[in-house]
Amino acid sequence: MATTVKKVNRSVDLTLWEKMYIPEILRGMSITLKHFAVNLLGNALEVFGGRRERKIQTLYYPEELPNVPIAYRGRPVLVADENGLEKCVACGLCEVACPANCISIIGAERGDGERYPVSYILDGSRCIFCGLCEEACPKEAIVMSGEWQDICEYDRAKMIYTKEDLLRSEKSLKKRIKVLREKYFNKGRY
Amino acid sequence: MSAYLPDLIETMVKIAIVLGMNIGFFAPMLAWVERKQSAVMQDRIGANRADIFGFTVIGLFHSLADAIKLIFKEDFIPRGADKLLHTIAPLIAMIPALVTFAVIPFGGHYVLWGHDVNLVIADLDVGILFVLAISSIATYGVVLAGWASNNNWSLLGGLRAAAQMFSYEVTMGLTIIGLVMYYQSLSLVEIVAKQENFFHWGIIWHWPAFILFLACAVAENKRVPFDIPEAESELVAGYFTEYSGMKFVIFWTAEFIEVVTISALCVVMFFGGHQIPFISVQDIVNYLMDFGPNVANLVAAVIGFTVFIVKVVVLIFIQMTIRWTLPRFRYDQIMKLGWKMILPLSLVWILIVGVLILAGIMPTP
Repeated sequence: MATTVKKVNRSVDLTLWEKMYIPEILRGMSITLKHFAVNLLGNALEVFGGRRERKIQTLYYPEELPNVPIAYRGRPVLVADENGLEKCVACGLCEVACPANCISIIGAERGDGERYPVSYILDGSRCIFCGLCEEACPKEAIVMSGEWQDICEYDRAKMIYTKEDLLRSEKSLKKRIKVLREKYFNKGRY
Repeated sequence: MSAYLPDLIETMVKIAIVLGMNIGFFAPMLAWVERKQSAVMQDRIGANRADIFGFTVIGLFHSLADAIKLIFKEDFIPRGADKLLHTIAPLIAMIPALVTFAVIPFGGHYVLWGHDVNLVIADLDVGILFVLAISSIATYGVVLAGWASNNNWSLLGGLRAAAQMFSYEVTMGLTIIGLVMYYQSLSLVEIVAKQENFFHWGIIWHWPAFILFLACAVAENKRVPFDIPEAESELVAGYFTEYSGMKFVIFWTAEFIEVVTISALCVVMFFGGHQIPFISVQDIVNYLMDFGPNVANLVAAVIGFTVFIVKVVVLIFIQMTIRWTLPRFRYDQIMKLGWKMILPLSLVWILIVGVLILAGIMPTP
Protein backbone atom coordinates (compact mmCIF):
# COMPACT_ATOMS: atom_id res chain seq x y z
CA MET A 1 0.00 0.00 0.00
CA ALA A 2 1.32 3.37 -0.95
CA THR A 3 2.13 5.54 2.02
CA THR A 4 1.26 9.00 0.76
CA VAL A 5 0.21 10.80 3.91
CA LYS A 6 -1.18 14.25 3.40
CA LYS A 7 -0.35 16.56 6.27
CA VAL A 8 -3.34 18.57 7.40
CA ASN A 9 -2.77 21.63 9.51
CA ARG A 10 -4.94 20.96 12.53
CA SER A 11 -3.51 23.76 14.61
CA VAL A 12 -6.27 25.43 16.55
CA ASP A 13 -4.14 28.27 17.84
CA LEU A 14 -6.07 31.45 17.24
CA THR A 15 -4.54 34.72 16.26
CA LEU A 16 -4.95 37.69 18.55
CA TRP A 17 -7.61 39.13 16.26
CA GLU A 18 -9.60 35.90 16.51
CA LYS A 19 -9.10 35.72 20.26
CA MET A 20 -10.79 39.09 20.59
CA TYR A 21 -13.85 37.17 19.47
CA ILE A 22 -16.16 40.10 18.77
CA PRO A 23 -14.83 40.83 15.25
CA GLU A 24 -15.15 37.16 14.36
CA ILE A 25 -18.73 37.09 15.65
CA LEU A 26 -19.50 40.15 13.55
CA ARG A 27 -17.90 38.47 10.52
CA GLY A 28 -20.05 35.37 11.00
CA MET A 29 -23.15 37.50 11.44
CA SER A 30 -22.36 39.41 8.27
CA ILE A 31 -22.21 36.12 6.35
CA THR A 32 -25.54 34.88 7.66
CA LEU A 33 -27.12 38.30 7.19
CA LYS A 34 -25.89 38.40 3.60
CA HIS A 35 -27.58 35.08 2.90
CA PHE A 36 -30.70 36.34 4.67
CA ALA A 37 -30.85 39.52 2.61
CA VAL A 38 -30.21 37.82 -0.72
CA ASN A 39 -32.80 35.12 -0.12
CA LEU A 40 -35.37 37.52 1.28
CA LEU A 41 -35.00 39.86 -1.68
CA GLY A 42 -35.11 36.96 -4.14
CA ASN A 43 -38.26 35.57 -2.57
CA ALA A 44 -39.92 38.97 -2.40
CA LEU A 45 -39.22 39.63 -6.07
CA GLU A 46 -40.66 36.26 -6.97
CA VAL A 47 -43.90 37.07 -5.18
CA PHE A 48 -44.21 40.22 -7.30
CA GLY A 49 -43.63 38.29 -10.49
CA GLY A 50 -39.90 38.79 -10.82
CA ARG A 51 -37.36 36.22 -11.82
CA ARG A 52 -36.22 33.75 -9.21
CA GLU A 53 -32.88 34.90 -7.93
CA ARG A 54 -32.40 33.11 -4.70
CA LYS A 55 -29.77 30.83 -3.30
CA ILE A 56 -32.40 28.45 -1.98
CA GLN A 57 -32.17 25.31 -4.06
CA THR A 58 -35.22 23.59 -2.58
CA LEU A 59 -38.01 22.77 -5.06
CA TYR A 60 -41.64 22.92 -4.01
CA TYR A 61 -41.93 19.38 -5.35
CA PRO A 62 -45.47 18.70 -6.50
CA GLU A 63 -45.78 22.24 -7.84
CA GLU A 64 -42.26 22.56 -9.20
CA LEU A 65 -40.49 19.82 -11.12
CA PRO A 66 -36.75 19.47 -11.51
CA ASN A 67 -35.16 19.90 -14.92
CA VAL A 68 -33.50 16.56 -15.59
CA PRO A 69 -30.30 16.75 -17.63
CA ILE A 70 -30.51 15.55 -21.21
CA ALA A 71 -28.20 12.62 -20.47
CA TYR A 72 -30.67 11.36 -17.86
CA ARG A 73 -31.87 7.80 -18.50
CA GLY A 74 -35.57 7.72 -17.72
CA ARG A 75 -38.22 5.40 -19.09
CA PRO A 76 -37.21 3.90 -22.46
CA VAL A 77 -39.71 4.97 -25.13
CA LEU A 78 -40.36 4.23 -28.79
CA VAL A 79 -39.93 7.00 -31.34
CA ALA A 80 -42.78 7.69 -33.73
CA ASP A 81 -42.30 9.37 -37.11
CA GLU A 82 -44.42 12.19 -38.58
CA ASN A 83 -47.26 9.80 -39.42
CA GLY A 84 -47.40 8.52 -35.86
CA LEU A 85 -46.02 5.15 -36.89
CA GLU A 86 -43.16 3.59 -34.93
CA LYS A 87 -39.70 3.78 -36.45
CA CYS A 88 -38.94 0.33 -35.09
CA VAL A 89 -38.31 -2.35 -37.73
CA ALA A 90 -38.54 -5.26 -35.26
CA CYS A 91 -34.97 -6.37 -35.88
CA GLY A 92 -34.72 -7.62 -32.29
CA LEU A 93 -31.29 -6.13 -31.50
CA CYS A 94 -32.58 -4.41 -28.40
CA GLU A 95 -34.15 -7.68 -27.30
CA VAL A 96 -30.71 -9.29 -27.53
CA ALA A 97 -28.86 -6.36 -25.99
CA CYS A 98 -31.17 -6.05 -23.00
CA PRO A 99 -29.34 -7.52 -19.98
CA ALA A 100 -32.56 -7.79 -18.01
CA ASN A 101 -34.54 -9.51 -20.79
CA CYS A 102 -37.36 -7.05 -20.42
CA ILE A 103 -38.13 -6.51 -24.13
CA SER A 104 -40.13 -8.95 -26.20
CA ILE A 105 -41.04 -8.18 -29.83
CA ILE A 106 -43.28 -9.89 -32.34
CA GLY A 107 -42.50 -8.59 -35.79
CA ALA A 108 -44.42 -8.70 -39.07
CA GLU A 109 -44.39 -7.13 -42.57
CA ARG A 110 -46.60 -4.35 -43.81
CA GLY A 111 -48.05 -4.44 -47.32
CA ASP A 112 -45.11 -2.50 -48.73
CA GLY A 113 -42.62 -4.97 -47.35
CA GLU A 114 -41.61 -2.75 -44.42
CA ARG A 115 -41.15 -4.67 -41.17
CA TYR A 116 -42.84 -3.42 -38.04
CA PRO A 117 -43.49 -4.72 -34.50
CA VAL A 118 -46.97 -6.14 -34.12
CA SER A 119 -46.42 -6.14 -30.40
CA TYR A 120 -43.58 -4.50 -28.50
CA ILE A 121 -43.71 -5.29 -24.82
CA LEU A 122 -41.33 -3.66 -22.39
CA ASP A 123 -41.51 -4.96 -18.83
CA GLY A 124 -40.89 -1.86 -16.71
CA SER A 125 -40.58 -3.94 -13.57
CA ARG A 126 -37.47 -5.65 -14.98
CA CYS A 127 -35.90 -2.73 -16.83
CA ILE A 128 -32.65 -1.55 -15.19
CA PHE A 129 -32.45 1.72 -17.18
CA CYS A 130 -28.99 0.83 -18.53
CA GLY A 131 -29.58 2.36 -21.97
CA LEU A 132 -28.10 -0.58 -23.90
CA CYS A 133 -31.26 -0.83 -26.04
CA GLU A 134 -30.83 2.68 -27.41
CA GLU A 135 -27.15 1.96 -28.02
CA ALA A 136 -28.01 -1.21 -29.92
CA CYS A 137 -30.84 0.25 -32.00
CA PRO A 138 -29.75 0.96 -35.60
CA LYS A 139 -32.86 3.05 -36.40
CA GLU A 140 -32.90 5.42 -33.41
CA ALA A 141 -36.27 3.90 -32.66
CA ILE A 142 -35.91 3.35 -28.91
CA VAL A 143 -34.38 6.02 -26.69
CA MET A 144 -34.18 6.70 -22.98
CA SER A 145 -36.50 9.61 -22.31
CA GLY A 146 -36.41 12.10 -19.46
CA GLU A 147 -39.60 10.66 -17.96
CA TRP A 148 -39.08 9.88 -14.29
CA GLN A 149 -42.56 10.39 -12.84
CA ASP A 150 -45.19 7.63 -12.52
CA ILE A 151 -42.63 4.92 -13.10
CA CYS A 152 -43.43 3.28 -9.76
CA GLU A 153 -46.65 1.31 -9.36
CA TYR A 154 -48.22 -0.79 -6.64
CA ASP A 155 -49.11 -3.51 -9.18
CA ARG A 156 -46.47 -5.16 -11.35
CA ALA A 157 -49.05 -5.90 -14.03
CA LYS A 158 -49.38 -2.14 -14.60
CA MET A 159 -45.68 -1.87 -15.33
CA ILE A 160 -45.81 -3.98 -18.47
CA TYR A 161 -45.84 -1.32 -21.20
CA THR A 162 -47.18 -2.04 -24.66
CA LYS A 163 -46.24 -0.33 -27.91
CA GLU A 164 -49.10 2.15 -27.53
CA ASP A 165 -47.95 3.12 -24.04
CA LEU A 166 -44.44 3.85 -25.22
CA LEU A 167 -44.93 5.74 -28.51
CA ARG A 168 -43.66 9.33 -28.31
CA SER A 169 -43.37 11.84 -31.13
CA GLU A 170 -39.91 12.36 -32.60
CA LYS A 171 -40.16 16.07 -31.93
CA SER A 172 -40.33 15.63 -28.15
CA LEU A 173 -37.20 13.44 -28.21
CA LYS A 174 -35.14 15.54 -30.60
CA LYS A 175 -32.59 16.65 -28.03
CA ARG A 176 -31.96 13.14 -26.77
CA ILE A 177 -31.52 11.80 -30.28
CA LYS A 178 -29.02 14.57 -31.01
CA VAL A 179 -27.06 13.62 -27.90
CA LEU A 180 -27.12 9.98 -28.98
CA ARG A 181 -25.70 10.83 -32.37
CA GLU A 182 -22.87 12.79 -30.78
CA LYS A 183 -22.29 10.06 -28.28
CA TYR A 184 -22.34 6.98 -30.43
CA PHE A 185 -21.70 8.03 -34.03
CA ASN A 186 -19.98 11.34 -34.55
CA LYS A 187 -17.41 11.41 -31.79
CA GLY A 188 -16.73 7.73 -31.74
CA ARG A 189 -15.63 7.89 -28.16
CA TYR A 190 -17.47 4.80 -27.13
CA MET B 1 -62.29 54.46 46.18
CA SER B 2 -63.12 56.79 43.35
CA ALA B 3 -59.80 58.57 43.78
CA TYR B 4 -57.93 55.35 43.06
CA LEU B 5 -60.14 54.24 40.18
CA PRO B 6 -58.27 56.08 37.38
CA ASP B 7 -54.96 54.77 38.70
CA LEU B 8 -56.37 51.28 38.85
CA ILE B 9 -57.70 51.46 35.29
CA GLU B 10 -54.42 52.93 34.09
CA THR B 11 -52.40 50.13 35.68
CA MET B 12 -54.75 47.47 34.33
CA VAL B 13 -54.43 48.88 30.82
CA LYS B 14 -50.65 48.92 31.09
CA ILE B 15 -50.56 45.34 32.36
CA ALA B 16 -52.88 44.32 29.51
CA ILE B 17 -50.58 46.02 27.00
CA VAL B 18 -47.49 44.28 28.37
CA LEU B 19 -49.11 40.85 28.63
CA GLY B 20 -50.77 41.16 25.24
CA MET B 21 -47.55 42.32 23.68
CA ASN B 22 -45.51 39.49 25.15
CA ILE B 23 -47.79 36.46 25.16
CA GLY B 24 -50.15 37.47 22.40
CA PHE B 25 -47.73 38.98 19.93
CA PHE B 26 -44.07 38.33 20.59
CA ALA B 27 -44.21 34.68 21.72
CA PRO B 28 -45.99 33.29 18.62
CA MET B 29 -44.22 35.72 16.30
CA LEU B 30 -40.82 34.74 17.62
CA ALA B 31 -41.63 31.06 17.20
CA TRP B 32 -42.34 31.89 13.56
CA VAL B 33 -39.34 34.19 13.18
CA GLU B 34 -37.03 31.60 14.66
CA ARG B 35 -38.10 29.06 12.05
CA LYS B 36 -38.40 31.31 9.07
CA GLN B 37 -35.38 33.48 9.70
CA SER B 38 -33.14 30.48 10.25
CA ALA B 39 -34.50 28.90 7.08
CA VAL B 40 -33.92 31.95 4.91
CA MET B 41 -30.50 32.44 6.48
CA GLN B 42 -29.46 28.87 5.78
CA ASP B 43 -30.75 28.80 2.18
CA ARG B 44 -33.79 26.72 3.09
CA ILE B 45 -37.50 27.47 2.71
CA GLY B 46 -38.88 26.76 6.16
CA ALA B 47 -42.38 25.95 7.33
CA ASN B 48 -44.89 27.14 4.75
CA ARG B 49 -47.59 24.49 4.32
CA ALA B 50 -50.14 25.22 7.06
CA ASP B 51 -52.97 27.19 5.45
CA ILE B 52 -56.42 28.56 6.21
CA PHE B 53 -58.64 28.58 3.11
CA GLY B 54 -55.55 28.35 0.94
CA PHE B 55 -53.75 31.31 2.51
CA THR B 56 -50.42 30.39 4.03
CA VAL B 57 -49.18 33.89 5.02
CA ILE B 58 -45.56 32.70 4.65
CA GLY B 59 -45.94 30.01 7.27
CA LEU B 60 -47.42 32.19 10.00
CA PHE B 61 -50.22 29.72 10.68
CA HIS B 62 -47.72 27.11 11.82
CA SER B 63 -47.56 28.86 15.19
CA LEU B 64 -51.33 28.51 15.45
CA ALA B 65 -51.26 24.90 14.33
CA ASP B 66 -48.52 24.16 16.85
CA ALA B 67 -50.51 25.78 19.64
CA ILE B 68 -53.59 23.71 18.79
CA LYS B 69 -51.56 20.53 18.58
CA LEU B 70 -49.79 21.12 21.89
CA ILE B 71 -52.99 21.98 23.75
CA PHE B 72 -54.52 18.64 22.77
CA LYS B 73 -51.36 16.67 23.46
CA GLU B 74 -51.11 14.35 26.44
CA ASP B 75 -49.64 16.03 29.49
CA PHE B 76 -47.18 13.35 30.49
CA ILE B 77 -45.57 13.06 33.92
CA PRO B 78 -42.96 10.31 34.06
CA ARG B 79 -43.05 7.57 36.70
CA GLY B 80 -41.04 8.48 39.78
CA ALA B 81 -41.24 12.20 39.02
CA ASP B 82 -42.18 14.69 41.69
CA LYS B 83 -45.65 15.62 40.48
CA LEU B 84 -45.97 18.96 42.24
CA LEU B 85 -42.53 20.28 41.33
CA HIS B 86 -42.79 18.89 37.82
CA THR B 87 -45.99 20.88 37.38
CA ILE B 88 -44.95 24.20 38.88
CA ALA B 89 -41.41 24.28 37.46
CA PRO B 90 -42.47 25.71 34.05
CA LEU B 91 -44.45 28.42 35.81
CA ILE B 92 -41.47 29.33 37.99
CA ALA B 93 -39.42 29.60 34.81
CA MET B 94 -41.98 31.74 32.98
CA ILE B 95 -43.30 34.18 35.60
CA PRO B 96 -39.97 35.99 36.27
CA ALA B 97 -39.62 36.73 32.56
CA LEU B 98 -43.00 38.44 32.62
CA VAL B 99 -42.59 40.11 36.00
CA THR B 100 -39.34 41.74 34.90
CA PHE B 101 -41.39 43.75 32.44
CA ALA B 102 -43.13 45.52 35.34
CA VAL B 103 -40.20 47.90 35.80
CA ILE B 104 -39.31 48.42 32.15
CA PRO B 105 -40.59 51.78 30.87
CA PHE B 106 -42.10 51.36 27.41
CA GLY B 107 -42.87 55.04 26.99
CA GLY B 108 -42.36 58.38 28.66
CA HIS B 109 -44.47 60.55 30.93
CA TYR B 110 -47.66 62.03 29.49
CA VAL B 111 -50.65 64.05 30.72
CA LEU B 112 -53.94 62.68 29.39
CA TRP B 113 -57.19 64.34 30.37
CA GLY B 114 -55.66 65.80 33.49
CA HIS B 115 -54.27 62.43 34.56
CA ASP B 116 -50.55 61.73 34.82
CA VAL B 117 -49.69 58.64 32.81
CA ASN B 118 -46.27 57.11 33.23
CA LEU B 119 -45.80 54.29 30.75
CA VAL B 120 -44.28 51.82 33.17
CA ILE B 121 -46.23 49.43 35.36
CA ALA B 122 -44.17 49.97 38.51
CA ASP B 123 -41.79 52.92 38.78
CA LEU B 124 -39.40 51.37 41.32
CA ASP B 125 -36.42 53.31 42.63
CA VAL B 126 -34.37 50.12 42.45
CA GLY B 127 -35.52 48.94 39.04
CA ILE B 128 -32.19 47.40 38.01
CA LEU B 129 -31.84 45.50 41.28
CA PHE B 130 -35.42 44.26 40.84
CA VAL B 131 -34.60 42.98 37.36
CA LEU B 132 -31.50 41.14 38.60
CA ALA B 133 -33.29 39.72 41.62
CA ILE B 134 -36.31 38.47 39.70
CA SER B 135 -34.37 37.04 36.78
CA SER B 136 -32.36 34.85 39.17
CA ILE B 137 -35.61 33.22 40.33
CA ALA B 138 -35.98 31.73 36.84
CA THR B 139 -32.99 29.53 37.69
CA TYR B 140 -35.16 27.70 40.23
CA GLY B 141 -37.67 26.77 37.57
CA VAL B 142 -34.99 25.26 35.38
CA VAL B 143 -33.21 23.43 38.20
CA LEU B 144 -36.46 22.10 39.64
CA ALA B 145 -37.59 20.96 36.21
CA GLY B 146 -34.36 19.04 35.81
CA TRP B 147 -34.51 17.52 39.25
CA ALA B 148 -38.23 16.69 39.36
CA SER B 149 -38.26 14.84 36.03
CA ASN B 150 -36.44 11.76 37.38
CA ASN B 151 -34.35 11.56 34.24
CA ASN B 152 -30.58 11.52 33.77
CA TRP B 153 -30.56 14.01 30.94
CA SER B 154 -32.89 16.37 32.74
CA LEU B 155 -30.76 16.28 35.87
CA LEU B 156 -27.60 16.98 33.89
CA GLY B 157 -29.36 19.82 32.12
CA GLY B 158 -30.54 21.23 35.42
CA LEU B 159 -27.06 21.03 36.91
CA ARG B 160 -25.50 22.76 33.96
CA ALA B 161 -28.20 25.41 34.01
CA ALA B 162 -27.59 26.06 37.71
CA ALA B 163 -23.83 26.44 37.23
CA GLN B 164 -24.16 28.56 34.11
CA MET B 165 -26.90 30.87 35.31
CA PHE B 166 -25.17 31.40 38.65
CA SER B 167 -21.90 32.31 36.92
CA TYR B 168 -23.45 34.76 34.53
CA GLU B 169 -25.77 36.29 37.14
CA VAL B 170 -22.74 37.68 38.95
CA THR B 171 -21.23 39.06 35.78
CA MET B 172 -24.50 40.50 34.52
CA GLY B 173 -24.85 42.54 37.70
CA LEU B 174 -21.30 43.83 37.42
CA THR B 175 -21.60 44.86 33.77
CA ILE B 176 -24.36 47.33 34.63
CA ILE B 177 -22.51 48.98 37.54
CA GLY B 178 -20.68 51.33 35.21
CA LEU B 179 -23.98 52.43 33.75
CA VAL B 180 -25.44 53.02 37.22
CA MET B 181 -22.42 55.13 38.11
CA TYR B 182 -22.88 57.13 34.92
CA TYR B 183 -26.61 57.82 35.38
CA GLN B 184 -26.39 57.99 39.19
CA SER B 185 -29.65 56.10 39.49
CA LEU B 186 -30.99 52.58 39.82
CA SER B 187 -34.43 53.52 38.51
CA LEU B 188 -34.97 52.51 34.89
CA VAL B 189 -37.47 55.34 34.39
CA GLU B 190 -34.89 57.87 35.49
CA ILE B 191 -32.23 56.28 33.30
CA VAL B 192 -34.48 56.61 30.27
CA ALA B 193 -35.36 60.20 31.18
CA LYS B 194 -31.64 61.05 31.34
CA GLN B 195 -31.14 59.73 27.80
CA GLU B 196 -33.23 62.47 26.25
CA ASN B 197 -30.06 63.95 24.79
CA PHE B 198 -28.77 61.57 22.12
CA PHE B 199 -25.19 61.98 23.36
CA HIS B 200 -26.21 60.65 26.75
CA TRP B 201 -27.42 57.33 25.35
CA GLY B 202 -25.78 54.42 27.10
CA ILE B 203 -24.34 53.03 23.90
CA ILE B 204 -22.24 56.14 23.24
CA TRP B 205 -19.93 55.76 26.24
CA HIS B 206 -20.83 52.31 27.46
CA TRP B 207 -20.66 50.14 24.36
CA PRO B 208 -18.19 47.72 26.03
CA ALA B 209 -20.74 47.28 28.81
CA PHE B 210 -23.41 46.67 26.17
CA ILE B 211 -21.42 43.86 24.55
CA LEU B 212 -20.67 42.27 27.91
CA PHE B 213 -24.25 42.67 29.09
CA LEU B 214 -25.68 41.19 25.91
CA ALA B 215 -23.36 38.19 26.19
CA CYS B 216 -24.32 37.64 29.83
CA ALA B 217 -28.01 38.12 29.13
CA VAL B 218 -27.99 35.60 26.28
CA ALA B 219 -26.14 33.17 28.55
CA GLU B 220 -28.70 33.83 31.28
CA ASN B 221 -31.44 33.00 28.78
CA LYS B 222 -29.66 29.77 27.79
CA ARG B 223 -29.85 30.49 24.08
CA VAL B 224 -27.63 29.05 21.48
CA PRO B 225 -24.02 29.97 21.91
CA PHE B 226 -24.67 29.22 25.60
CA ASP B 227 -27.32 26.48 25.37
CA ILE B 228 -25.50 23.69 27.19
CA PRO B 229 -28.41 23.18 29.64
CA GLU B 230 -30.49 22.24 26.60
CA ALA B 231 -27.81 20.84 24.25
CA GLU B 232 -29.97 18.80 21.88
CA SER B 233 -27.03 16.79 20.58
CA GLU B 234 -25.87 15.69 24.04
CA LEU B 235 -28.78 15.85 26.46
CA VAL B 236 -31.84 15.18 24.25
CA ALA B 237 -33.52 18.41 25.37
CA GLY B 238 -31.78 19.02 28.69
CA TYR B 239 -33.92 20.07 31.60
CA PHE B 240 -37.23 19.84 29.70
CA THR B 241 -36.68 16.40 28.19
CA GLU B 242 -39.64 14.98 30.10
CA TYR B 243 -42.06 17.79 29.33
CA SER B 244 -44.85 17.66 26.82
CA GLY B 245 -47.96 19.56 25.84
CA MET B 246 -48.64 22.92 27.45
CA LYS B 247 -45.82 22.68 30.00
CA PHE B 248 -43.36 22.36 27.15
CA VAL B 249 -44.93 25.38 25.50
CA ILE B 250 -44.56 27.35 28.71
CA PHE B 251 -40.82 26.67 28.72
CA TRP B 252 -40.60 27.81 25.13
CA THR B 253 -42.72 30.87 25.76
CA ALA B 254 -40.55 31.73 28.76
CA GLU B 255 -37.49 31.59 26.55
CA PHE B 256 -39.02 33.83 23.91
CA ILE B 257 -40.34 36.31 26.44
CA GLU B 258 -36.88 36.44 27.97
CA VAL B 259 -35.51 37.32 24.55
CA VAL B 260 -37.95 40.24 24.49
CA THR B 261 -37.10 41.19 28.06
CA ILE B 262 -33.38 41.25 27.34
CA SER B 263 -33.94 43.36 24.25
CA ALA B 264 -36.20 45.74 26.19
CA LEU B 265 -33.62 46.05 28.96
CA CYS B 266 -30.89 46.80 26.45
CA VAL B 267 -33.10 49.38 24.77
CA VAL B 268 -33.93 51.03 28.07
CA MET B 269 -30.36 51.11 29.35
CA PHE B 270 -28.31 51.62 26.19
CA PHE B 271 -30.55 52.85 23.38
CA GLY B 272 -32.64 55.55 25.00
CA GLY B 273 -35.90 53.65 25.51
CA HIS B 274 -38.72 55.45 23.73
CA GLN B 275 -36.62 58.48 22.82
CA ILE B 276 -35.99 59.47 19.23
CA PRO B 277 -32.53 61.00 18.64
CA PHE B 278 -32.63 64.82 18.57
CA ILE B 279 -36.44 64.94 18.96
CA SER B 280 -37.72 65.17 22.52
CA VAL B 281 -41.20 64.17 23.66
CA GLN B 282 -41.91 67.83 24.39
CA ASP B 283 -41.12 68.73 20.75
CA ILE B 284 -43.73 66.28 19.49
CA VAL B 285 -46.31 67.53 21.98
CA ASN B 286 -45.63 71.16 21.09
CA TYR B 287 -45.81 70.41 17.38
CA LEU B 288 -49.25 68.82 17.76
CA MET B 289 -50.63 71.37 20.22
CA ASP B 290 -53.11 72.61 17.56
CA PHE B 291 -55.12 69.42 18.07
CA GLY B 292 -55.40 70.03 21.82
CA PRO B 293 -53.12 68.84 24.61
CA ASN B 294 -54.82 65.47 25.06
CA VAL B 295 -54.50 64.39 21.43
CA ALA B 296 -50.94 65.70 21.32
CA ASN B 297 -49.97 63.71 24.40
CA LEU B 298 -51.75 60.60 23.13
CA VAL B 299 -50.00 60.76 19.76
CA ALA B 300 -46.68 61.35 21.49
CA ALA B 301 -47.33 58.29 23.68
CA VAL B 302 -48.16 56.14 20.66
CA ILE B 303 -45.05 57.36 18.80
CA GLY B 304 -42.89 56.71 21.86
CA PHE B 305 -44.29 53.20 22.27
CA THR B 306 -43.79 52.44 18.57
CA VAL B 307 -40.20 53.66 18.65
CA PHE B 308 -39.59 51.50 21.70
CA ILE B 309 -41.04 48.43 19.98
CA VAL B 310 -39.02 49.07 16.82
CA LYS B 311 -35.81 49.26 18.84
CA VAL B 312 -36.78 46.07 20.69
CA VAL B 313 -37.48 44.28 17.40
CA VAL B 314 -34.09 45.29 16.00
CA LEU B 315 -32.37 43.93 19.10
CA ILE B 316 -34.42 40.73 18.91
CA PHE B 317 -33.29 40.36 15.33
CA ILE B 318 -29.66 40.75 16.40
CA GLN B 319 -30.15 38.09 19.08
CA MET B 320 -31.79 35.76 16.60
CA THR B 321 -28.96 36.28 14.13
CA ILE B 322 -26.42 35.44 16.83
CA ARG B 323 -28.48 32.37 17.69
CA TRP B 324 -28.33 31.07 14.12
CA THR B 325 -24.73 32.09 13.47
CA LEU B 326 -22.67 30.73 16.32
CA PRO B 327 -22.14 27.11 17.35
CA ARG B 328 -22.51 25.98 20.96
CA PHE B 329 -19.74 26.45 23.52
CA ARG B 330 -18.35 23.51 25.42
CA TYR B 331 -19.08 23.47 29.16
CA ASP B 332 -15.54 24.39 30.18
CA GLN B 333 -15.43 27.11 27.54
CA ILE B 334 -18.58 28.68 28.96
CA MET B 335 -17.15 28.66 32.47
CA LYS B 336 -13.85 30.05 31.22
CA LEU B 337 -15.59 32.79 29.26
CA GLY B 338 -17.77 33.73 32.22
CA TRP B 339 -15.28 33.69 35.06
CA LYS B 340 -11.97 34.38 33.37
CA MET B 341 -12.94 36.81 30.63
CA ILE B 342 -16.23 38.63 31.09
CA LEU B 343 -15.97 38.99 34.87
CA PRO B 344 -12.48 40.60 34.87
CA LEU B 345 -13.42 42.70 31.86
CA SER B 346 -16.51 44.04 33.60
CA LEU B 347 -14.45 44.84 36.72
CA VAL B 348 -11.90 46.65 34.58
CA TRP B 349 -14.70 48.55 32.89
CA ILE B 350 -16.06 49.68 36.27
CA LEU B 351 -12.59 50.97 37.14
CA ILE B 352 -12.30 52.80 33.82
CA VAL B 353 -15.72 54.40 34.18
CA GLY B 354 -14.90 55.45 37.74
CA VAL B 355 -11.64 57.06 36.68
CA LEU B 356 -13.25 58.78 33.68
CA ILE B 357 -16.06 60.20 35.79
CA LEU B 358 -13.69 61.37 38.51
CA ALA B 359 -11.39 62.97 35.94
CA GLY B 360 -14.38 64.74 34.40
CA ILE B 361 -13.80 63.24 30.96
CA MET B 362 -17.17 61.44 31.09
CA PRO B 363 -19.61 64.04 32.42
CA THR B 364 -22.63 62.46 34.10
CA PRO B 365 -25.95 63.67 32.71
